[in-house]
Amino acid sequence: MDGYIAYGVFFLTVASIYALVCLGLNLQWGATGLFNVGVAGFFAVGAYATAILTCPDFPGQVGGFSLPVPVGWLGALLAGGLAALLVGLPTLRLRDDYLAISTFGIAIVIQLVALNFQPLTGGALGINFIPRPLAAWFSDAGRYGIFYLAVVAAIVSAAYWALERLVRSPWGRVLRAIREDEAAAAALGKSPAVFRLQAFVLGSMLMGLAGGLHASFYGFISPADFQPILTFQAWTMLVLGGSGNNRGALVGAVAVWALWSASGALLHAVLPADLQVRGAALQIVLIGVVLAAALLFRPRGLIGEEPIVSRHARL
Amino acid sequence: MSAGPTLAVDALVAGYEPDLPIVRNASLHVEAAEIVALLGPNGAGKSTLVKAVAGLVPVSAGTVRFEGRDITGRPAHRLIGEGLAFVPQTENIFTKLTVAENLALAGHRLGRRLRERVDAVFALFPDLARQRGLGAGRLSGGQRQMLACARALIVEPRLLMLDEPSAGLAPVMVAQLFAKLREVRAAGITILLVEQNVKAALALADRGYLLVDGRPRLSGPAVAMASDPALAGLYLGSAA
Amino acid sequence: MLQLFADGLIQGAMVSLGAIGLTLTYSILRFANFTQGELVTGGAYAALMALAGFAGTAQRAGTFAGLSFGWPMLVALLLAMLATGGLALTIEWLLFGRLRRHGSAITLVIASFGASLALRNLIAFGFGPQPQYFSRDLQIAIPIMPGVRLTPDQLFLVGVTAALVAALHFFLTRTTLGRAMRATAENPALAMLIGIDVRAVVRWTWLVGGALAAVAGVFLGLTVQVRPSMGFDLLLPLFAAAILGGIGNPYGAVLGGLLIGLAESLSVPWVGSEYRQAVGFLVMLAALLWRPQGLLGERA
Repeated sequence: MDGYIAYGVFFLTVASIYALVCLGLNLQWGATGLFNVGVAGFFAVGAYATAILTCPDFPGQVGGFSLPVPVGWLGALLAGGLAALLVGLPTLRLRDDYLAISTFGIAIVIQLVALNFQPLTGGALGINFIPRPLAAWFSDAGRYGIFYLAVVAAIVSAAYWALERLVRSPWGRVLRAIREDEAAAAALGKSPAVFRLQAFVLGSMLMGLAGGLHASFYGFISPADFQPILTFQAWTMLVLGGSGNNRGALVGAVAVWALWSASGALLHAVLPADLQVRGAALQIVLIGVVLAAALLFRPRGLIGEEPIVSRHARL
Repeated sequence: MSAGPTLAVDALVAGYEPDLPIVRNASLHVEAAEIVALLGPNGAGKSTLVKAVAGLVPVSAGTVRFEGRDITGRPAHRLIGEGLAFVPQTENIFTKLTVAENLALAGHRLGRRLRERVDAVFALFPDLARQRGLGAGRLSGGQRQMLACARALIVEPRLLMLDEPSAGLAPVMVAQLFAKLREVRAAGITILLVEQNVKAALALADRGYLLVDGRPRLSGPAVAMASDPALAGLYLGSAA
Repeated sequence: MLQLFADGLIQGAMVSLGAIGLTLTYSILRFANFTQGELVTGGAYAALMALAGFAGTAQRAGTFAGLSFGWPMLVALLLAMLATGGLALTIEWLLFGRLRRHGSAITLVIASFGASLALRNLIAFGFGPQPQYFSRDLQIAIPIMPGVRLTPDQLFLVGVTAALVAALHFFLTRTTLGRAMRATAENPALAMLIGIDVRAVVRWTWLVGGALAAVAGVFLGLTVQVRPSMGFDLLLPLFAAAILGGIGNPYGAVLGGLLIGLAESLSVPWVGSEYRQAVGFLVMLAALLWRPQGLLGERA
């Protein structure tokens, strides 16, 4: 029984971290219509920020501040926001698919830095021994797991509550107005560019924070944790959960993470020993197919906007 | 040649959205080798009407008959084969191709007759002939409209529809273009044109229709319409 | 310095070939196709499979003078071009074509991102993640001019790319299908009006784009190595080249590809070869901010 509880706690913790990412993505896409294909990059920035701020001193590596974990998480939040500010200022005015390509590029560049800038990020080997908050207080790994889950759940709940309030606030109304009719909103004196940037930065802060929670949870990060598959998982969660919707973000996170874990277990059981290592690749294929199917059979696609070329040119 | 009108539009209801019709119960007809002008204030639906005939805007009710055949809702790319050519108001030439390539592409189904047709079209528009190797994007506004007409004429359509061909053109260019349209009609081609320039359109056309709120409210010989005070009234919205 | 220039041209040639299909489908179908990289990868693996298929014949056929391969490779290349064109058409039929009827451009981009992930990992699953090679022979770089050494394979690559671009130019300017492609890339609605079967043009575009991507993949495999992520690593430079040259303009894609290749290569002394992709990205960003219509595009 203990094993199941421990797994359940682990499962929910990871799902909650993903849920936080999805909440951020929902603010960017669902509420503001920003097409961020570089989610993994902002997550990575937060993770490395927490690692650098909270780790003890290692030779040859920047950091060693040994700050308390909550400070590390705050740093992750700010780092995610700062990255978004730097990226967003030049690119947010680009049209949808150019923004997608740009954010995709940013994530790749961040991954390159993570992989190669050894003094800061530990290079391909990553950063180890990231401290967990209040680890000393708990002797039992099981109890610690529950504690950490409680912390993450509290953070996600707070974020959810705050986002729900935000969406219903005057700020949220302006955002909706900008999404519906930018020219009209601008005519009322609201600068669409500023509001979009705010939404982008806020969303990325949540992604960064999630990265920090990830780093402290696993205690170890490397560039391999921040591949495009992460971006894709976040989008799948949002699409399947119902994009445009904070609750959908939570539901989607749990559902897709469950699907992912189940497919992993299935492949582990079914594949012969020599193909086990390659099984991870097949898992990704499965989730790719699931998303494609979801998109194909949802009659209105992601949001149900106008057809691409023109209404009259049916390609 | 069929005895009836070249184009007969009957109780047409059309619009981009099915529950928001722009063309509301419109009926009109165009006889062979006529020039008919479609006039009306902005938003009256005149462009939408020709686009519906051309298969570019969905039709929810009514019929369109071309030379007696029902072509309602026929997709745009089939109509050119039927003998119906449409010149849109904007983006009506391929700027990335040369003048000659625009014409060759428009006539890609002509096979051996392409050479002869291109020559015929260049004879009608000698200005274009001089620029045949030029990228179409470099043409002036008036020349672009000429090219747009030329490429529509290459396949020898029996009905030529134009959407505000005079838009953005200087008066002298409009006069030149309309003179060409007279030559086109003289060759036996029927013309239906949507126009904002009421004076020039009625000077060119044989008959006119005034569209208000999606259907014709006034029609008759162009000469009569040009001197009808009700025309101004309907345009400016004072009459019901 | 000249050597870097030459290396940049080689790299640029491959980016060019991959970017042509990308720029055409981008402008005709109005979406950023993230699977283009996998078409490059697919081409390389298809050639590998074809070569494995004529294993015995390959041994007997020997190699061309100086080059690392013989006739079997050329046949494999042709087969790879066909197969990859077919792959592109299949993705279009299974996924993009259907999504276009119901969804927006964003849906398509996400779907292509997912398809790219799935394809890449399918290849990794099927062939394994380790790098593979067309030939185990080491090629000696020969001096072409003072300061520049290239391998015979690289010279062959440049020659074939030049020939392909010339053939493409002829195709685009002298044939109806080629002109129809250029016209559809500019204005699909107008193309329909003049009677062009735009659906057929779309299919041909995928075929041609896929075939050229396969050539890029085989060349990349010949000069570097074949591995599952080879095309994905090229994706950012491909986008950069297409955008830099002007979306919808195949000549722009060629020019953009060469420039990106040069930029990446020439920056190596400063930035280190690990950050090559970042350089391409910065060039693309600069283009998006200052000249979004690209070098050969006109302001919309």
